[in-house]
Amino acid sequence: MQFSKNWLRELVDIKVSTAELCEQLTLLGLEVDNYKNYQSDLTGEDSVIKLDITPNRGDCFSLLGIARELSAFYGSQLSYPNPIEVKQSIESPLDVKVCKSAPSYIGRFITKIDLNKKTPLLIKERINLSGFRSIDPIVDITNYVLLQLGQPLHAFDQDKLQGDLRVRFPKKGEKLTLLDEQKIQLDDDSLLITDEKKPVALAGIMGGLETGVSPDTESIFLESAFFKPGAIRGQARKFNLQTDASIRFERGVDYQIQELAIKVASQLIKKITGGKFGPTQKFINKSDLPKPKIISTKPSKINKTLGSNISSSTIKKNLKSLGLKVITSKKGDEFKVQIPSWRFDLQIEADLIEEVARTVGYDNLPIKDLKPRLIRPFDSLFESLRVNLISLGYNEVITYSFIDQDDAGLTNKKNDFAFVTNPISTNMSVMRPSLFSGLINTFSYNYNRGVKDQKIFEIGSVFIKKNKNIISENILLSGLISGNRNNLNWSEPQIQRDFFDLKGDLESLSLGYSFSQIKLPFLHPGKAAAIIKGKKQIGYLGTINPTIQEKLDIKQNIHFFELSLEVNKEREPKKFKKYSVFPIARRDLSFILEKDISSKSIETLIIQNSGKDLKEIQIFDVYEGKKIPKGKKSLAFSLFWQAKKRTMTDKEIDRIVKKIANSLSRNLNAELRVQ
Amino acid sequence: MNISALTKKSLALLEGVDNLEQLKKAHKDLLGKNGEVNLLLKKLGTLPPSKRKSHGKDLNNLKNQLEEIFQFKQKNLKKDSSEKLKGENIDVTLPGRLRTLGSKHPVNSTISSIVSFFSSVGFEVVFGPEVESDYYNFESLNIPKNHPAKDMHDTFYLENGFLLRTHTSPVQIRAMEKLAPPIRIICPGKVYRRDSDLTHTPMFHQIEGLVIEKEASFSVLKGLLYDFVINLFGKETEIRFRPSYFPFTEPSAEVDIKWKKGWLEILGCGMVHPNVLKKSGINTNIYSGFAFGLGPERIAMLQHNIPDIRAFFENDIRFLKQF
Repeated sequence: MQFSKNWLRELVDIKVSTAELCEQLTLLGLEVDNYKNYQSDLTGEDSVIKLDITPNRGDCFSLLGIARELSAFYGSQLSYPNPIEVKQSIESPLDVKVCKSAPSYIGRFITKIDLNKKTPLLIKERINLSGFRSIDPIVDITNYVLLQLGQPLHAFDQDKLQGDLRVRFPKKGEKLTLLDEQKIQLDDDSLLITDEKKPVALAGIMGGLETGVSPDTESIFLESAFFKPGAIRGQARKFNLQTDASIRFERGVDYQIQELAIKVASQLIKKITGGKFGPTQKFINKSDLPKPKIISTKPSKINKTLGSNISSSTIKKNLKSLGLKVITSKKGDEFKVQIPSWRFDLQIEADLIEEVARTVGYDNLPIKDLKPRLIRPFDSLFESLRVNLISLGYNEVITYSFIDQDDAGLTNKKNDFAFVTNPISTNMSVMRPSLFSGLINTFSYNYNRGVKDQKIFEIGSVFIKKNKNIISENILLSGLISGNRNNLNWSEPQIQRDFFDLKGDLESLSLGYSFSQIKLPFLHPGKAAAIIKGKKQIGYLGTINPTIQEKLDIKQNIHFFELSLEVNKEREPKKFKKYSVFPIARRDLSFILEKDISSKSIETLIIQNSGKDLKEIQIFDVYEGKKIPKGKKSLAFSLFWQAKKRTMTDKEIDRIVKKIANSLSRNLNAELRVQ
Repeated sequence: MNISALTKKSLALLEGVDNLEQLKKAHKDLLGKNGEVNLLLKKLGTLPPSKRKSHGKDLNNLKNQLEEIFQFKQKNLKKDSSEKLKGENIDVTLPGRLRTLGSKHPVNSTISSIVSFFSSVGFEVVFGPEVESDYYNFESLNIPKNHPAKDMHDTFYLENGFLLRTHTSPVQIRAMEKLAPPIRIICPGKVYRRDSDLTHTPMFHQIEGLVIEKEASFSVLKGLLYDFVINLFGKETEIRFRPSYFPFTEPSAEVDIKWKKGWLEILGCGMVHPNVLKKSGINTNIYSGFAFGLGPERIAMLQHNIPDIRAFFENDIRFLKQF
């Protein structure tokens, strides 16, 4: 809603600067988006004020509504327009049949109008400043009244109407071509104005093309109706037709202003285009009009909700200033309030409480302390993972939850996809089933900007369609590394990160994961592992398949992991474990064995044979090459023993080592090399 | 008692000492508790009184003389060893073996600091799903079908009636259904709106707070949010409350802070609408509630002077590294 300040001052004469006026409007809940000064040739110094009207305040989509608010706040007199009645000089050729959704329809037949006449400059300027284009005197006048009173008017070309008008819902298959030349197929619930042959307007939204006013129009039938908000709501959106009329009708138009609007319009038409006027025809079904709403309230309840101490007389005075009628009752401090016909937003007591708060001023209400309530702060598992990953050098990223379908296809099958039916663009049409796409695209974005060494991670939800009715949402942690392990440095050579850098980072988080070989299409077939917790696979890690890397034109290996975090749990408190104070015995053992025996299987056998006092086992060398037979490899382990309550002897360690050697030789054909 | 022999022997021994360790041992052997000088001193008592005095004097002289030599030698030897360390000088201005730390996403940092403020006054952290139903996102929040307020929420729809939540307010409803009052919760999370321009991204974050208590009033809401704003932006921050509209709160308010020259909207709030409370099974005769919602991106932009909201989701490492 945008308007000229000088026009507003015709309705309520507020003598404050525009800046101050705007501040006040905002503090009343009519937020000023901006204002501009304007020098008018007709009215002198003026300003154009643009308001963002909230959906509850349909009444403020007019100068009258805004003036009413200011009049309540400043205590200034509100000047209602007081037009001179244009007398009837001819009969009307038609009647209107109303229905429940249109309980009030006031019409006027006007003939012999001259559309070659020009709209007066002042009206032109005012509607222009409100963002309307001047078209012809009739359209300009209807817009002028719309802005002034908030009542949408519509003018039909009377010569194109056939018989009486009717407000009704469509019959099957009815169609209508609107003023904007859009042809629409009507739904059961699209309220219409029809003549005896055809639909002539989509009620409260837009008139039909065929019966619209054109330069040749000589006679009009002017409509000033009240359509119930419920009948209009949803229609404009359905046909994508937000019009100045629909915005007002769906929020609620004063159901008693129709007659005034026709009066104002008649006077202007008479003055500008001339013409002969029919009677003001009132088709009103009182029983279907909204009933004046009555709400009970008590100052004590108002003050409890607001935490305030406003006197009963101030409350009543403020409510009255807004045009509400206060009806005192004898039941204690309770009283009743009758809501005026223009305030569709006032439905329950809470709405009255807001009116009281608003008129007192939010900033004048007291400030009280919230009573403390002591709880242990949430020790978030996610937060501790974040801190640890950041310490390991990872930058946290947040990527969009909707991704390209092809990217989603890298990690998941199409059955898994939850599609966005109205995506912002086609490459954001699938809810991500994995964080892979977000991370690889972020990597590629930065790589192309010269950042080759990257470690990034994200914690976020992924979405999998389970069936028609279930989309599962899980929180995953994913990370990606590539480039050099260390910064360019004078003291150590730069080494490219590999699978084991990533695996090491995961192990550093010490969340009790184990790993086993797997194959996944988007990972390198020989460099991928499942991440296992307990007996359940909760994720995977690996080197990204070189074909994907090549497609992105990236010239270095990329390593990626993804694992499920379930829900953001509290971190479990760590339990202390007693440690031994006795000396540690160490032995280094080196074995030669078949190349494709996994280190894990050797380790498992060693542990089985090492007794309960084995503390730690580390692989410190892996070798394949000249010094050992082809097809074999050498693996060297360091073993550490420590008993809880005594010092272990060399003899017993020797016995254990022998047992390990025998077992490995027997089971894996491994040969003990060095001891 | 051969004092002169001991003197000769001691001097010869000290002559041969050329490091601190040997010196320490020589000191122990000669002047220690069971050193040779002390052994002779202990024997003084066995001598006839005539000799006792002169021997005693000689021994003390020897002791002092040796002590002096020790001091001197120690000083010299220490000097020698520091001369040697000097040869091992390094250039301490060379860079260390740096292991670069990563960084937390600035939006998550802002969320953490806001959540921790509310945790400190007794709010429990709860989360809700991002894929929602029309009921939780709209209907239960007093936004029925075709309500004009829906126009403020340009919604992304999935198949079969699912949608992406347009605000974190559905978490309020889920919490009220699950928890019995009194309730104090804070719910951070992602939300989605079909909007994309300089100041909007189709995905962003919100933090929703809800209090359902017997004494929840608009004044208490004001008090809490004043404390919050002052905590976040500093004691001198100018704040104002002004009327606004949300279908799920009544009265509703918007909170602005004075920023540079104008007022800047930073959060929305209000008393929970009685329809919402009733729908969620809260007894409105006993309990009232207030709720508030704010956008961490906007706050992070103010805190870090970030001009463009889209930077948060571009994830340029040169941007992320700065936080």
